[in-house]
Amino acid sequence: MKIILLFLLLISFLFGQEDQQDSSYTLGSGKKVGSLPLYLGGYFSTDYRSTPETQHNRFRVDDIAFLAYGSSNKFSYMSELEYKEFYVKEWSDGNTSIQKHNKLRIERLYLDYNYDENLVLRVGKYNSPIGYWNLMPINVLRATTSSPLSSSMIYPKYTTGIDLSYLLFSDYEVKVDFLAQNNNDFDDAYNNFHIDKHYGVGVTYSKNDLSLKLNGGYFHTKKKVLPSDDIYYWLASLKYDNDHFKIMGELGTQFDKNGLLVPYSGYIQGMYRITEQHLPVIRFESYSSNVLLGRKKDQFVILGYTYRPVFPMAFKAEYQLHEDNEKDKVLFSFSVMF
Amino acid sequence: MKKVLLLLFFSFFLYGQKFAVVTKVNSTIPSLSKAKVKMIFLKKQKMSGDTVLIPINLSPSNKVRKSFEHTILGMSRNRLKSFWTKEHYLGHRPPLTMKSFKSVLSFIKKIDGSIGYVPLSEVNKEFKILYKWEEQ
Repeated sequence: MKIILLFLLLISFLFGQEDQQDSSYTLGSGKKVGSLPLYLGGYFSTDYRSTPETQHNRFRVDDIAFLAYGSSNKFSYMSELEYKEFYVKEWSDGNTSIQKHNKLRIERLYLDYNYDENLVLRVGKYNSPIGYWNLMPINVLRATTSSPLSSSMIYPKYTTGIDLSYLLFSDYEVKVDFLAQNNNDFDDAYNNFHIDKHYGVGVTYSKNDLSLKLNGGYFHTKKKVLPSDDIYYWLASLKYDNDHFKIMGELGTQFDKNGLLVPYSGYIQGMYRITEQHLPVIRFESYSSNVLLGRKKDQFVILGYTYRPVFPMAFKAEYQLHEDNEKDKVLFSFSVMF
Repeated sequence: MKKVLLLLFFSFFLYGQKFAVVTKVNSTIPSLSKAKVKMIFLKKQKMSGDTVLIPINLSPSNKVRKSFEHTILGMSRNRLKSFWTKEHYLGHRPPLTMKSFKSVLSFIKKIDGSIGYVPLSEVNKEFKILYKWEEQ
């Protein structure tokens, strides 16, 4: 509780400074530490979820994260430490449970070396550069409180190893990523797959407001949680983002040598900027899985609304309408970046 | 409505004015396309050859900056703010900001790889023009 209070106090302090003209701090931009190549920042999110059919409710203080990064000449670094699901309270039919996770985990920790204007080498733990959602996965930066299932069913969210990216500039941009992991994760508590190998390639083409991406890869799980521990995937993604609206879509598949594990999982999402503060969202998701327990297929629509008094602060509400009524959900969240 | 009036106001005073993206005269940075200038000021392109690039912005209220953001970056101020918040999560910083053309040019003369934009009339032989645009 003390940590939450300190955190909220820090946010209030920083937010209170935003409108002071002589202050160099702006909410959501971090703070430089003296003359060091070091910037500090972070983010916070809390959410509430209710499943009306089953009367199940959950309140979470989900993310309390600290960022530290900087650059010097051709090198730059990034570290992110996080308390995830810091406090979780669930209740239904008079039963209540509370869980607390107060161990600070390494979410990202990497060093970049800019070899020249095209080539960058990254070493460490980073968000796997797969699709678009996984690059901006935190509540305050994404469009809805929930994340699409395809962002957690198909590929490992984090990779601990190297990433070599080649960026070609013209009137358009082409980026090619090669990622490789052949070791244990720094800290796999938050990774959706506990892996010791991951090899992948991604190609991104961007021109003006449109961006298209294709990823493919292989990973090996440390424990056999799926029918096989050698798993392959493909993911195709698109993003169109202009001043008025943003469209994103991803469609992926996962398989092993014996066949399809996840025949398909994907979403298409549209967000309209009524103003920069008021942002309605609609997302359609669909998946078919041969490895999930229980329901193997689902299709659902998410209707969401986000209010951002300033961009780094978001109040969100969403309603999920599933084929199976028991899965319908209502979610609310508050998140802020500082 | 206020934003439209302000935009019209600035457009009226800047109409026909010429601006230049410049670096120091002996720099190895080659001439740039509009797309490359955008890449550099959004920090997507961080180097030119072996030189680390240091883009410099004018202060947010500066009329030339407004023209630069509108004509070269093609992004509204709000969209730029959200862009840099996302970049903060990725560990990237927005360009340095300086208050006057004089301080931009003085910085460029001293620091290799620095790039700024100023009215063309401010540019002398000590600087190399990388890109020019005219306010329409």
